[in-house]
Amino acid sequence: MKPTKNPCHSSDATAITRRRFLQGTAGLGAMTLLPMQVWASGNTLRIRTYTEPDNFDPVDASGFGEEMLYGCIYRKLIQYVPGEQWGYDLDLAEKIEQRTPTEIAFTLKKRQMWSDGYGEITSEDIKFSFERILDPAMKSSLTQDLGSLTHVEITGTHSGVLHLDRPFSPIWGIALPYLAGTIVCKKAVEAVGGRITTAIPPTVSGPYRVRELRTGDRWILERNPEYSGPQADFERVDIVHIDDALTAEIGLEAGNLEFTRVSPGSVLRLRRQKPAGTMLTEHPSLYYAWLGMNLDSPKLSDIRVRQAIQYAIDVPSTLTAAYSGSVESSTGIIAPGLVGHRNNTLIPPEGDLEIARLLLDQAGVSTLNLRLDVLNTSVWTSAAQVIQATAGAIGINIEIHAHESGSFWSLGKESDGDRWKNLELVLNRFSMAPDPYYATSWFTTEQVGIWNWERFSNKEFDQLHQDALAETDNTKRHEMYVRMQNLMEESGAYRFLTHESTANLYVSNVVPATRPDGLPLIQLFRKA
Amino acid sequence: MGLYFLQRFALALSILFIAVSALYAIMVMLPGDPTSVLLGPRATEEMRANYALQMGLNDPVIVQILNFWGRIINGDLGQDVLRNRPVSEPVLQALPYTAALIAAAIIWSATLGILLGALSAAKRNTAFDRITGILSVAFIAAPSFVVALWSLLVFAVLLRWFPAIGAGEPGNLPDQLYHLILPGFAIGLSWVGYIARIVRASMLEVMSENHIRTASAFGIPRYRIIYIYALRVAVLPAVTVLGVGVGGLLSSAVFAEIVFARPGIGKLIYESVTSRNYPVVMGCMLVSIGFFLTCTLIADFINALLDPRLRSKK
Repeated sequence: MKPTKNPCHSSDATAITRRRFLQGTAGLGAMTLLPMQVWASGNTLRIRTYTEPDNFDPVDASGFGEEMLYGCIYRKLIQYVPGEQWGYDLDLAEKIEQRTPTEIAFTLKKRQMWSDGYGEITSEDIKFSFERILDPAMKSSLTQDLGSLTHVEITGTHSGVLHLDRPFSPIWGIALPYLAGTIVCKKAVEAVGGRITTAIPPTVSGPYRVRELRTGDRWILERNPEYSGPQADFERVDIVHIDDALTAEIGLEAGNLEFTRVSPGSVLRLRRQKPAGTMLTEHPSLYYAWLGMNLDSPKLSDIRVRQAIQYAIDVPSTLTAAYSGSVESSTGIIAPGLVGHRNNTLIPPEGDLEIARLLLDQAGVSTLNLRLDVLNTSVWTSAAQVIQATAGAIGINIEIHAHESGSFWSLGKESDGDRWKNLELVLNRFSMAPDPYYATSWFTTEQVGIWNWERFSNKEFDQLHQDALAETDNTKRHEMYVRMQNLMEESGAYRFLTHESTANLYVSNVVPATRPDGLPLIQLFRKA
Repeated sequence: MGLYFLQRFALALSILFIAVSALYAIMVMLPGDPTSVLLGPRATEEMRANYALQMGLNDPVIVQILNFWGRIINGDLGQDVLRNRPVSEPVLQALPYTAALIAAAIIWSATLGILLGALSAAKRNTAFDRITGILSVAFIAAPSFVVALWSLLVFAVLLRWFPAIGAGEPGNLPDQLYHLILPGFAIGLSWVGYIARIVRASMLEVMSENHIRTASAFGIPRYRIIYIYALRVAVLPAVTVLGVGVGGLLSSAVFAEIVFARPGIGKLIYESVTSRNYPVVMGCMLVSIGFFLTCTLIADFINALLDPRLRSKK
């Protein structure tokens, strides 16, 4: 039988002929051209959000994810001014003033228009926007941000007065220039039944309008040609939902994003060497992180034991491990730049093991076993391990319990069973709005078993919290909030760690606009 | 054939019921109050109570499971109470992205794996066979997340040949395929190794069987014997493994969709589990398990088509 020729053994099959060579190089050449269409995007701003804006109506808004969107498509009486100092600029308001402690009078700029034929923005819209948040039937979670606001009085087509039933200073910092201050069109919202339920709203007033929502991926905005202010720089803005910060960093380095917040672990690397054509900025964040101690735990009932733990924790070393040394120690729960920020802690950040040992001896404790609950992310588990090591030096044995976020965020809540009873030490981190009231409100007696997991209860603290709300003199407010943080630290239930920092990486042909805490004000971004 | 398929279908439905019910029970037992996690710190007690009522969280677990199946029988995946939309909406929006990712991974890995396996068997004990063997094991051993990160750093960041994130513009097929290359490569690479090893082993077994020897004796060309007669039988184990492997690919899709910031069922499940959005988790689970079982059924069906012995088995 004649042997069958196996084509795979044929020398012809593997030989590189001129034709094959040309085919191969042409193919490779075509591959290098592929990216051209993707990265030719000078008129598009692609910006990462870690939390997807998923409410269509500002009355349902819950966080900064929505603010990124609403800031682009809606306007407010005032808006945050970009830069390093907290403050506000006039937006819709031509003039706004605290006429009395319970009255804020405003006058609107004229000829500020809604898109799609909904006419001019009037004081009717202002009244409607605030009062729908106050309406219990709307079930808005923004109601608390408006504090003691009761109603809005219309005094003219372009003027009105916000009436409060008692003074409420935070309204200037956390309500008027933020989510609760978003103005919607009365006529348009009423026409759709009282609530906006579609991704593309019936009308907008900001520099951009919604072109498309791609659920799970991005919001796509485009320039609003009917905007009454100066035309937006970018034709298109993509607010891209990327959960993981490292993915976003790679996306920016690959040319798929123009702006992103970067993870703490990347900051040192980026400080040393930034990708070509990019810039890095760092801002003090408003977040606050601390180690809390459950005052109701029998093991922690002696204040000397708690103070020993406070002294045993070396905050700078903990932060070096957890954040690669990219953040500073904090002095309390109120960040630098805000009224009430403390200059120093009562216990030095480095702690003191000798004092810690002495305090334990005085309490008659030689060894102590405690559990430390943390979120299961590398930042928190690293911090916990350092705390575990330093506490071990004075005979405190710490067992670390890491939880995924869903489980962690209800650890201290009485409404979620008995788990709060097992809490001893917990590493915690809260977000913050730019007013000290927002920070202290979680540590009052009424928050015990809800968000006050240390179960800290102090009458003076509670009273100061109420008094500071109504105080309009910033010097007095500052002293009140400093005293409140002193009370927290003196209780032994808190070891303040850091406010973290916000580091942003962006391409150099974009001029970003950010709040002092580094969060983006997309509507004010410009081309370089 | 019809009876065989009917039996497989009934079995798949039973598995779907048991798996989804068990997952529901496990999820409800997880620590973490969904009303707090979902609504956040600003929500009032009234809002939380109202939300729990709408989600049916006050009912016993067994009642919740029965209510869930009752809705499913009526063609309703439930309501995402938090975002006030039917669960089917995000699930159906996400499913095509995941299906495309898995299909891309299967198509390229199966094509290359079968080819390498068949060639290795045909060139047994040659340098090609040895190199393929080493590469196959290396592909199997390389974790998908490492492949993903390296491919991102090399092909997206360094060379900028492919995009690092996203799924491409809807309606623009070339752009969507272009965005599929890196994630498809990352989750499919280990399957190249698996399939190549399975096909090679299977081919060697088939090549020693009598009908192949008979075919050679009749003077049928060798390439025809290898690639038509032998491969058709040898590929059966690979098809079965691929059918089951869709489950593994679904798991890989979770991580791929997060690393490559792609929309999809995996990303939706991850977000819904961490936020305790039970209705969306259950909708995703039902669709994912259903998708997996459908793929297994298709694999069984293809096997039955290719191998008449399976059809006649009682």
